[in-house]
Amino acid sequence: MANEVQQFDVVVIGGGPGGYAAALYGAAAGLNIAIVEFDKVGGTCLHRGCVPAKEFLETAHVRRTVEHASNFGIEATGVTVDFAVSQNRKNEIVDRLFKGLSGLLKGRKVTIFSGTGRLEKDLTVTVVDGADAGVVAKGTNVILAAGSVPRTIPGFDIDGTLVLTSDEFLDLSALPERATVIGGGAIGCEFASLLSDMGTKVTILEGLPSILAGCDSEVATVVQRSFKKRGIDIRVGVKITGHTPKKGTTTIAIEGEDGVETDMVVMSVGRRARTEGLLADGTGVEINAGGFVVADSFMRTSAPNVFAVGDVVAGTPQLAHVGFAEAIVAIKTILGEPAVPVDYDRVPWAIYSNPEVAFCGLTEAAAKEKGYDVVVKKDPFGGNSRAQIIGDTEGVVKIIAEKRADGSGGQILGVHMAGPWVTEQLGAGYFAVNWEATAEEAAALIQPHPSLSETFGETLLALAGRGLHLA
Amino acid sequence: MGESVTEGTITQWFKKVGDVVARDEPLFEVSTDKVDSEMPSPAAGILTEIIAGEGDTVQTGSRVAVIDDSGAPAGAPVASATTEAPPSPTASAPVAEVATSAPPVAAAPAAPVPEESSNTGVVVSPVVRRILSDGGVEASSVQGTGPGGSITRRDAERAVAQGPTEEVVVPLSNGKRRMGQHMSVSSQSTPHGFVAIEVDGSIFAQLDKLGRVTRDGEAITDEMVVSLAAVRALAEFESLNATYVGDEFVLHRTVNLGVLRSIADDGMLVPVVHAAAGLTLRALARRVNELDERLASRQLTTDDLMGGTFTIAGSPSEHTLWTTPIIIQPEVAILSMGAVRTVPVVKTSGKTPKIEVGRRLVLGLSFDHRVCEPVGAASYLERVAELLAGMDLESER
Repeated sequence: MANEVQQFDVVVIGGGPGGYAAALYGAAAGLNIAIVEFDKVGGTCLHRGCVPAKEFLETAHVRRTVEHASNFGIEATGVTVDFAVSQNRKNEIVDRLFKGLSGLLKGRKVTIFSGTGRLEKDLTVTVVDGADAGVVAKGTNVILAAGSVPRTIPGFDIDGTLVLTSDEFLDLSALPERATVIGGGAIGCEFASLLSDMGTKVTILEGLPSILAGCDSEVATVVQRSFKKRGIDIRVGVKITGHTPKKGTTTIAIEGEDGVETDMVVMSVGRRARTEGLLADGTGVEINAGGFVVADSFMRTSAPNVFAVGDVVAGTPQLAHVGFAEAIVAIKTILGEPAVPVDYDRVPWAIYSNPEVAFCGLTEAAAKEKGYDVVVKKDPFGGNSRAQIIGDTEGVVKIIAEKRADGSGGQILGVHMAGPWVTEQLGAGYFAVNWEATAEEAAALIQPHPSLSETFGETLLALAGRGLHLA
Repeated sequence: MGESVTEGTITQWFKKVGDVVARDEPLFEVSTDKVDSEMPSPAAGILTEIIAGEGDTVQTGSRVAVIDDSGAPAGAPVASATTEAPPSPTASAPVAEVATSAPPVAAAPAAPVPEESSNTGVVVSPVVRRILSDGGVEASSVQGTGPGGSITRRDAERAVAQGPTEEVVVPLSNGKRRMGQHMSVSSQSTPHGFVAIEVDGSIFAQLDKLGRVTRDGEAITDEMVVSLAAVRALAEFESLNATYVGDEFVLHRTVNLGVLRSIADDGMLVPVVHAAAGLTLRALARRVNELDERLASRQLTTDDLMGGTFTIAGSPSEHTLWTTPIIIQPEVAILSMGAVRTVPVVKTSGKTPKIEVGRRLVLGLSFDHRVCEPVGAASYLERVAELLAGMDLESER
């Protein structure tokens, strides 16, 4: 098999969400597709990211439920936590999903080469290592879906015991007494939340003026308030200069402030594109200064017939579902079918911390910056009957709409939520934003009672001019 | 129709520059005044240059692309002898010859940044679709500013504010353009004469009684029955089974009967039943049905559309009285039929005339007035009517 050139309609480098979505969607259209994957299909999301992290967050949720069971008259005594069981459960879930995905790809007759793929200049992809090292696959088209890897900061080498990234964290079978999360973005807040809920004393260190800097500030405030109430120490605007390990603990040095002594450092300062070694010389594929692949809105790189999707693409949100959507755009473009590019300003975002955050569209600040005259309404979950029933009333729904001449809300520009199950509630908001509905149009639709979604409905009514509860 | 095709418009390239093509693999689609055909690659190699782009009209035999058959990767310097590909064997279709040659030596050029292609009239949101429809605005008339040219709510509201769409420019399909060109040329080049007569249609009552299928199970239409009579009558009116090109008036000894067919939103085609003179109704039905099946599945070949000597235009609707068809060039006559109608008929065979329920239809003939005249045309139609009335359906089917 080695060195013999095998021809495909599409060769995909990387079997993560972007890569496998391209393969499945393309194969469904009758294209002959190969994936080159150095590890297991499913990628970061399935094996080292979204999916395992959510299993641990669910473990934390179960623990909270048990802790508060006495509020319902259910006494649970002698509750213990064995994190290794949760770790096993996570592995089982991941394994089942992996097998399902592998079966799906096999069923669509997608060829999978095991090893790291490198694009050569004539649309051939060489497998440089792994079980299929030496294989040369030539594509009429090539899709770069090599994904991303966690970044770290100077002075913090990842050792897997004291300093971890998400990669190592998600393999832990026991949690430390104290942990410091560096980086208070979506990933950092998920880790901080689950650690705290599992009994670890957590500190978040963030260089920006607030945690969840990309979210609407009021939604970020809900999370910040909840974190503080649960004893998470949040320190923003800090400059970290290094750390000094000593007997299984370490002290993180912060410029102009006291250091933080901790048992574990969880690094969550973003992810860089996995483009080292991805391209041979002369492919014509443009890589930007940050190491990401430059692609246009139809996912075409600067080299003819070479596409890029997923985390490897410059300037686009690193979300599995964005990778899926980009893969569909790329395949449609390859097939010559009309494709509508991904509208990156309006993709759904979901952060599975406690409380959860979900949003879509412009934040209030971003809408104003774009020159919109806006109307904003927000409704807290405190008054929601279902939220009181489940005993989780922390959170808010905030909707931003374009202001009409009469002062009422016009087209909905952004929907931002924090609180119980908002990651599952965002759907209606996503439709409203992407279908470009006005507050009035969306408010005319009914939400079931009692349900958490009534808070969204009530906010819409208020935006349209007159609410039931909300003025 | 014309004996040969001299030019065609490239409607689609199936391969891009840099693609590997196999010999005989479909390379591009060309649209001629006859038909759209896929042109196979004359050689295997790498498509290194497309000379004639989509929408370009090219002469038969002109060079439209360059295929590098040296086996070297695209863009790499190669030095192989230039080999001219043999002309396409299909003489009737445009010979869009793809010469194979070495590409020019190029020093690793900077890859061009692909242009942002934009769709027009793309509506993503149902809300936007409703705004447009309420405002009477056609999506195709709105330039979208959203991703990929999609129409945003703002675009839609702006367009609605400007008022409903009064006019929409609709690009003509290739089929319609072909039809339009042919009809213009025919009506401008040929003085058309027209005669119509009303004839007895009781044969169709008989057909209904016997059943509208042949013994082989082929469906029989009114048009087939009239075609049979029309073809047989031509034996006595040979000047109507003719072509007139330049100054040459040619009588044809074989009848190649064209049958006019409309294609939804794509103009008309005229498939030809070759050597129709000796056919029974049964055989004619089979041949016409075969052509219609190929038409429906878009598998008509250029041969199916070539060589017509006389054409029939069936009734376009169930209440049509007659149509005045335009002659298919370079033929000299085209027969049209109205619908077979159930009407009161005056019977004069008895002592006193009586009115009975009967069937009638109108036959019309458009003819080239340079070579035919109304008396001959009417005589021909009368003969068709006689053959129609006397047809032995029992044995024909």
